[in-house]
Amino acid sequence: MSATQNNENNSGANIQDPASKNINELIHDARAPLNRISMQAELIKLVLENDMPREKALEAATKIINSCQECSQFLEQISNK
Amino acid sequence: MLNILLVDDDEEFTGVACHIIEFLGHDVLTANSLQDAYQVLEHNEFDHIFLDFMLPDGSGLHLIDHINKQEKTPYITLITGHPLVKGMLTSLCGPKIGYIAKPLQREDLEQALNQKAKPVSGKKNKASMPNKHFDCLIGESPAMQELYTMIERVALTQANVMLMGESGVGKEVVAQAIHHATNKANNSQHKLVATNCGAMTKDLIVSELFGHEKGAFTGAIAKKEGVFQLAGNGTLFLDEVTEMPIDMQPNLLRVLENKKVTPVGGTKEIDVNCRVISASNRSVAEIAEKKCLREDIYFRLAVFPISIPALRERKEDIPLLANTFLNELNDEYERNYQWAAVQLQRLVDYDWPGNVRELRHTIHRAFIMSEPQSTSIELPKDFRSPFSSVSDKKHSLAAGQTIEDVEKELIKVTLADVDGNKSLAAEMLGISTKTLYNRLHAYGEFKE
Repeated sequence: MSATQNNENNSGANIQDPASKNINELIHDARAPLNRISMQAELIKLVLENDMPREKALEAATKIINSCQECSQFLEQISNK
Repeated sequence: MLNILLVDDDEEFTGVACHIIEFLGHDVLTANSLQDAYQVLEHNEFDHIFLDFMLPDGSGLHLIDHINKQEKTPYITLITGHPLVKGMLTSLCGPKIGYIAKPLQREDLEQALNQKAKPVSGKKNKASMPNKHFDCLIGESPAMQELYTMIERVALTQANVMLMGESGVGKEVVAQAIHHATNKANNSQHKLVATNCGAMTKDLIVSELFGHEKGAFTGAIAKKEGVFQLAGNGTLFLDEVTEMPIDMQPNLLRVLENKKVTPVGGTKEIDVNCRVISASNRSVAEIAEKKCLREDIYFRLAVFPISIPALRERKEDIPLLANTFLNELNDEYERNYQWAAVQLQRLVDYDWPGNVRELRHTIHRAFIMSEPQSTSIELPKDFRSPFSSVSDKKHSLAAGQTIEDVEKELIKVTLADVDGNKSLAAEMLGISTKTLYNRLHAYGEFKE
């Protein structure tokens, strides 16, 4: 299968008005902060398991909290659909 | 260690994923768009690419098309968060393409990185693939069976292991096998950290082993963990341990005895709990005679010594190894070379002083020299390398050799030196030609 047959240009997806997105697109968008949460949590595990600088863990925890807020906003938009 | 490219427009994700991939021991570069990725690919080669399916300037599939035009294609793992494309990706995934779905976990990255390209001619290659013991060792000879038994036994303990064997026998692979077997026995996922004591400079050896605090010495711009700490509860492989300067060895003794390290410039002792597997290509006799390892350290490291057989002591394994190496190269370069029986016999007949490493390199060289359109591989006329001829010339005496063995070896070397000219060889040996013929008859090596 060539790329030209599947030209799904996603350009501008991130700046699209949430109101114009369908529910599948919003669910897809919500996966991005979830993905960040998952990876930041993995980083915290690494820091704790390997006695790495605790600042890294704190930074990752702050980012998790921010991503939770972002996720909450997406859920809000989904509930308004 | 793999070279990895991570293509994703989510910069927070690429940042944290880089940390984790680097922690797993790989080098990683990132690109945030297709255009970025094209540029990075122009100047770098990668073993593995993690590729977001939807990028701001197009689909990840564009990049796959671009990569497929290159001569050497890396393994690609597509990352998707879109449930609708998962099914499509499954049908798209070829021998060198896989996919993982968001949200990702560290295990997903590890599993993706452990993927090897599936053989192009799957069934045939799979059937001819020999069994890999502990996922990495190949061979069914009695010598290897004995080695497997020792690995199984020691995997149930935390005893330190010292691996001894000639250069090229695969000491690091045996260390991996012990590590895998230990993880399997304990149902754990601990790490294996390898370091080469012969490659460490004397000034930095303590810092490499035990780590240092920031500012501990000029150039210590950040805190660094030593290999004992990095290994955690896993395995530390100290290669060429006998090459460590003797005056630095007391540092090693302390950690082996107390299981505690103090980083350079630090005040706090840190507990360490890894198994130490060390390796040397020197024999025990040589270690003792040349005093390249302190006796007290030897007994700490060699709680369970394992001697790895030379390849010439397990010649029946040569066809298995040759098939494996050729299949791996066939898969990597999408060729279909096959061994002829006579070629395998030539490989078996040679003594391989450089052991498995030399066999692998010889096959790789033959692979490169072979006609790309053909299915037959072209072996060189002479396997001997400059290093093997040097070792051929050593022929050192060892305690326990009989006079007959020494005499036989001397005649053999002399004959080889004069291209088999018996009159000349007899003259060099100071014996009559008739005596030389008598000796050769007695050894059963005389051929008219």
